[in-house]
Amino acid sequence: MRSALERLALVILLLLAVSLLTFAAMNLLGDPLFNILGPIAGDTENPESLAKIEAAKEQYYLDRPFFERWLRWLGDFVRGDFGVRFASDGQPPVTDLISERLPRSLLLMVMAQTMAVLIAIPWGIAAASRANKPVDKASTFSSFLLVSLPGFALGLLLKFVFAIKLDWFPLAYNAGNPWTERLHAFVLPALTLALPAAAVYQRLLRTDLITTLQEDFILMARAKGVKRRSVLFRHALRPSMFSMITVFGINAGALIGGALIVETIFEIPGLGRAIVEAILREDFPVVLAIVMIVATAFVVLNFLVDLFYSLLDPRVRT
Amino acid sequence: MSTVEEPLESFAATETADGTVAEKKLGWGFWLAIAWLVLIVGLAVLAPWLPLKDPDANFVDIQGKGRPPYSPSGDHWMGTDQDARDMFSRIIYGARVSLVVGFAAVAFGFVVGGTIGLVGGFVRGWFDRLSSFVMIVLLSFPALILAILITSLMERSLFTIALTLGILSIAPVSRLARSASLVFTEREFVTAARAMGAKPSHIMIRELLPNVLIPMSALALLGTAVAIVAEGGLAFLGLSVEKGATWGKLILIGADSRTLENSPWVSFGPILALFLTVMALNYAGDRLRDYFDVRELAL
Repeated sequence: MRSALERLALVILLLLAVSLLTFAAMNLLGDPLFNILGPIAGDTENPESLAKIEAAKEQYYLDRPFFERWLRWLGDFVRGDFGVRFASDGQPPVTDLISERLPRSLLLMVMAQTMAVLIAIPWGIAAASRANKPVDKASTFSSFLLVSLPGFALGLLLKFVFAIKLDWFPLAYNAGNPWTERLHAFVLPALTLALPAAAVYQRLLRTDLITTLQEDFILMARAKGVKRRSVLFRHALRPSMFSMITVFGINAGALIGGALIVETIFEIPGLGRAIVEAILREDFPVVLAIVMIVATAFVVLNFLVDLFYSLLDPRVRT
Repeated sequence: MSTVEEPLESFAATETADGTVAEKKLGWGFWLAIAWLVLIVGLAVLAPWLPLKDPDANFVDIQGKGRPPYSPSGDHWMGTDQDARDMFSRIIYGARVSLVVGFAAVAFGFVVGGTIGLVGGFVRGWFDRLSSFVMIVLLSFPALILAILITSLMERSLFTIALTLGILSIAPVSRLARSASLVFTEREFVTAARAMGAKPSHIMIRELLPNVLIPMSALALLGTAVAIVAEGGLAFLGLSVEKGATWGKLILIGADSRTLENSPWVSFGPILALFLTVMALNYAGDRLRDYFDVRELAL
């Protein structure tokens, strides 16, 4: 087991590599100057546009070497300044856009993960306590179907059944609504993300639970007369959550990808919509900022999951 | 990260409780899944020669049926879309692009990732450490974000989309290839080949590769499913192949609230095709994985 400090260093190295990769991709494959100024960028004949080009180069450090630009951007980013938006001159800086969109995506993720765990725990316990019986077989089959149904397809099906046919949930998100209604509009998109995740979690929980249930301390508890239900929830559950929590962390990254698509289906103006819009307008600072936020969240979350292990099961502590 | 450094022994047989060795079976579900895959691939390949309706023709019939989209009927088995184009033949033609993207992406990932993993597991040292770090970086990048980045910056041809998804499959493929290669490098037949003076390249190609490929066949099927779904996801963001229909693009056409309410068959037809194909690939992959007893396929 490596020390936490060493792993923290790896996390930072990883994030630097990701930011360099993204920054390079955005700068080498696209033309930042053109994205700031539009067609004038190519017009070096005209002195008026030439002056504008020079000014823009100065302002956005485009005349500096690539590596220096990356360092400058990184320095600003760490201090919470994500720069100016390229495509919209005089518009609010990227930081404002992010602080408007991030809470929505964050809420969607938190709701999705909470729902997934709340569904997975009873589901996994039900399957494990009746392992290889009809209930378990049915649960295996249904989780397999769920995992094979792509997120956008599940989203459309849920929208069709619960928003269109039954009319239990609104069709789209409206930022002007009171918070209860906005939360209400989040239920279906969160469920779209939660169901396949819950299917994966309950499989892992089931496998670990079956192993735990064969251990001596479970037999001991049963022999002492502890009720079956109590053994399952209070003795067996906690040491069986290992694999589930690992995948919980890894899944956060996958969910972010899924969230982009779900936000499109349910028309939620979150980070996912923001990055798609920014990419279509080649608004590099926005794309960079969102990619970095997502990657940081992903890596840091996995780091925390690693630390959490030792809290969950003292046997891992070194 | 505790990866797959488990022995990959006991390929086709497993020990039962009483110590006897029972032969494993793939089961009828596996062959059903393979049958569906053969059917859909066959239809896709033979589409131009089959008596299908032209996927781009508009079968508008204002007098008889009013405004399109038309619901499924004997004439149009799966209905038509808003432009009165036949959904059934569009789904078959869409399979051509979707399946090519899926297979090509996985093939690319296997050639590049498989080679890196195989060599890394065999030679160890700095090459292994460097490639492992690159794989961690690739894995720590949310896949869809990377796909969006590449597809948004390049021309969206069939080639770029397949390449993008192929790049995404490098890391998981290489991880499995590396761990399998690590295990087999320790085995006697490799030591024997070394003792007989075989060159490293010979050992890797003739001794390691055939053994590493066996557990990876399951990953190929699962990976194809992931790539096909990823193409659908990109289509939803407007970032899929620009020319021609794919399943993702077909679903998107029927995805807006009004079309979904009035004519759900426009999106549900391609969803069904996609779902059955992905399920068949997943199921066949799962069965193969159990059959070969490969653990931990991180995708």
